[in-house]
Amino acid sequence: MTRFAAGARVRARAADPDGHTRLPRYARGHIGEVVEVRATWQLPDEAVRGVFRAEPVYVVRFAAAELWGSGSHSVTIDMWESYLEEAP
Amino acid sequence: MSGEHGELPVAARVRRLEERLIAAGLATDAELDEVLDRVFTSASPVNGARMVARAWKNPAYRDRLLADGNAAAAELGFGAGAHGYLLKAVENTPTVHNMIVCTLCSCYPTALLGPSPGWYKSFAYRSRAVREPRAVLAEFGLELPDSTQIRVWDANSETRYLVLPLPAERADEMDENELASLVTRNGLIGTASR
Amino acid sequence: MGGQTGFGPVPAEDDGAFFHADWEARVYAIVRVLQRRGVINAAFDDLRDAIERIPPAEYLAMSYYERWLRAAEMLLAERKLLPGD
Repeated sequence: MTRFAAGARVRARAADPDGHTRLPRYARGHIGEVVEVRATWQLPDEAVRGVFRAEPVYVVRFAAAELWGSGSHSVTIDMWESYLEEAP
Repeated sequence: MSGEHGELPVAARVRRLEERLIAAGLATDAELDEVLDRVFTSASPVNGARMVARAWKNPAYRDRLLADGNAAAAELGFGAGAHGYLLKAVENTPTVHNMIVCTLCSCYPTALLGPSPGWYKSFAYRSRAVREPRAVLAEFGLELPDSTQIRVWDANSETRYLVLPLPAERADEMDENELASLVTRNGLIGTASR
Repeated sequence: MGGQTGFGPVPAEDDGAFFHADWEARVYAIVRVLQRRGVINAAFDDLRDAIERIPPAEYLAMSYYERWLRAAEMLLAERKLLPGD
């Protein structure tokens, strides 16, 4: 059972992590929608520290207006579960 | 091979690294040559173009391509490369245009699209594609109507994308080879209509 | 990199060559072999991490394959894989 289902509203974590992460800076703190549950993959943030833990990955779509305040396009990013939290 | 006159310092540095790796048993000349051989001879946008052409001609293949890009590539004899990433095909429609970028580093399905162009790796593309895709496309000569929604996909090492462009007009009158010749590398990335 | 401003127009289409110099091809081959041998993580995470650790001023001044080269050298040195490092 994955934490989020397709259609869920999620927020990308705002915290600026210490080391390597695959969470793009421009998405941090923003709200998007889960389009699909992608798979379960090793978390790169920890892999570089020698810790191998797998997590579900979600395909999350963000509206341009949400990310940049303007624009009508969307940006879709694969996000590991620990990058996300529920959004209202 | 002696050093060439006027050789760049970086070239000498690379050669030295190679020598040290081989001496340490971390690489062999054969392995290095094999990588380059494969990259130069088999990685090409012709591969992606053939997948697109088949999808245009064959609705069942199109469905398979959209459902499982890796399997669809394998059907035509193409692999996803040594790392084994997930290949996702994203389909353009009259109202949706897809565009691919890798903002974090420039990941790219080399086996199916050939070498990634310099512009794809540029800071300008990586920073602007997610922020102002319409303007970037206009610079590539692609003007899309306001009614066309642009979907930008930020790829990573694990998931790489291939755009399935809109079929050419009169696609049903052409065979797969002719159709494949209409598909460009930029069309597969999403910076051209085809 | 996404969304950062000030980078100007996307550079014009090049000749589509994989590499613009021999040394770039050799760097590519080195990285791929190290990846296959497990010295570099299969998903390039450690190489990417090393690239991210290149000081910003140097990072921006380096070309794409120079960054790969630098990152590979960093990883090999950090892991003490080459004698004489």
